[in-house]
Amino acid sequence: MRPVVIAGVGMIPFERTEEGGLVEMLATAGLNALVDAGVDDRPVDAVYLGNMASGLFNHQEAVASALVDSLALMPAAAERVENGPASGGSAIKNGFLAVASGFSDIVLVVGGEKMREVIGPKATDIVATMTHPMAEYVYGVTLPAQAGMFARLYMTKYGITRHHLAQVAIKNQNNGLLNPYAHIQMKITEEGILTHPQAHINNPVVADPLYLYDCCPVSDGAAAVLLTTPEIAKALKKPQVIIAGVGQATDTHALQEREDPTDLKAVTLAAKKAFEMAGAQPKDIDVAELHDAFTILEIAESEHAGFFKKGEGAQALDAGVTQIGGKLPINPSGGLKARGHPVGATGVAQIVELVWQLRGTAGKRQVKEAQTGFSLNFGGFGNNVLAFVVRREA
Amino acid sequence: MTGITAYKCNKCGLVMYPKHFRCLKCKGREFEEIEPAGDAKLLTYTVVDQLPWGMDERGRVLGIVEFANGVKATGLVKADDPKLGMKLKAEWGPVRVVGGEPAYGLTLIPKK
Ligand SMILES: [Zn+2]
Repeated sequence: MRPVVIAGVGMIPFERTEEGGLVEMLATAGLNALVDAGVDDRPVDAVYLGNMASGLFNHQEAVASALVDSLALMPAAAERVENGPASGGSAIKNGFLAVASGFSDIVLVVGGEKMREVIGPKATDIVATMTHPMAEYVYGVTLPAQAGMFARLYMTKYGITRHHLAQVAIKNQNNGLLNPYAHIQMKITEEGILTHPQAHINNPVVADPLYLYDCCPVSDGAAAVLLTTPEIAKALKKPQVIIAGVGQATDTHALQEREDPTDLKAVTLAAKKAFEMAGAQPKDIDVAELHDAFTILEIAESEHAGFFKKGEGAQALDAGVTQIGGKLPINPSGGLKARGHPVGATGVAQIVELVWQLRGTAGKRQVKEAQTGFSLNFGGFGNNVLAFVVRREA
Repeated sequence: MTGITAYKCNKCGLVMYPKHFRCLKCKGREFEEIEPAGDAKLLTYTVVDQLPWGMDERGRVLGIVEFANGVKATGLVKADDPKLGMKLKAEWGPVRVVGGEPAYGLTLIPKK
């Protein structure tokens, strides 16, 4: 396989987009990546679009074809890649394979979702259609409900408290304040969301034991990367940030069928594969972007990916290890919690953040001397997970 | 009567619900259809206040149970004070309204 360089990155701010439809959002992020890479009139061979549910959210299909048209990339190959909330990660994997195999030389990967076109309960329902129709969905099972059932067991087993979950929310919202692309720009305190007698008014139950501030917001957003060969990246005069490792693994559809429901097997396996391919270990990682759709997941993923032993993620968090400036900063972008989680965009936005960090252009949230980064994109409730190791080559 | 059909692998005995075309453990393709039997033990649960479109209620308890014969399933728990490990009795009842009609599923009530 050929090495694959991320030669261009681009995003649009995650928010409730007031102007323009889904394709405009995707095209803006895509154009930002094309401009960042400086490809000008070089032909782009292929476009991979990570998007979960444009049909249900926006009543529009075949969006990848609309996107190449909008960016004047014809006759580039184009398709949409769907893998629930890991659609972005899957699109990157497909783009990676296209360049690594020699099939394509220049590939644009865009991830995006316009979720706020529907009202909140409708968005919750659309996302919940990922659950098993007869064994879960019919009961009103949602992704927060699955996370709630998981959290109750995980917290009980490892002695994690709401204090720990609040620390994830506070850290990531603080980081979000340093990221102009983050949807949530608000400082919160443990008093305001947890310890004050009236904290429950600010922070009502969503799916007990998870509360509002344990859950990511519903956002619109798009992000893009341009993938190419080291030679072309050199000609474009771009830093050699490579995709060093890719891993993916699946698990049972229904949560109830997992032998140990606290074991996120697909996270462990995807991370292991990505590390093996990169010839790296968790201790080599300088900065990580994890899929904190729910606060409990940042802690659980940090353990399953191998950064901390099982049951020790919460202590590491409490000790400041995962802060910017700590030994392993997690989610300096603000994560899904603060940046937002436009489902198809997330896996791409994670890689965009890592590239900014490895290039040393992450501004106020820059992790010092970051050389190697890790991202984890968690599809379904952990039933289809992608992991990436990216590295800045000297 | 739980209304649920689970599947027991003829080759290795693994009990599965919902249905798979191949056994999750041994890839076997022949199964005996079984019904959940015995008390249901509450393995985990959540109390949901923000439900999807079309479900206008608060405090809905959803949980995963394991029956005495090994069947595991998600259901609607009708308990005001759910506790991990509590014993529940399974029934088949309305769990949701779809297109104006009740949809049926597993409902679980505390055993006295
Ligand atoms: Zn079997």
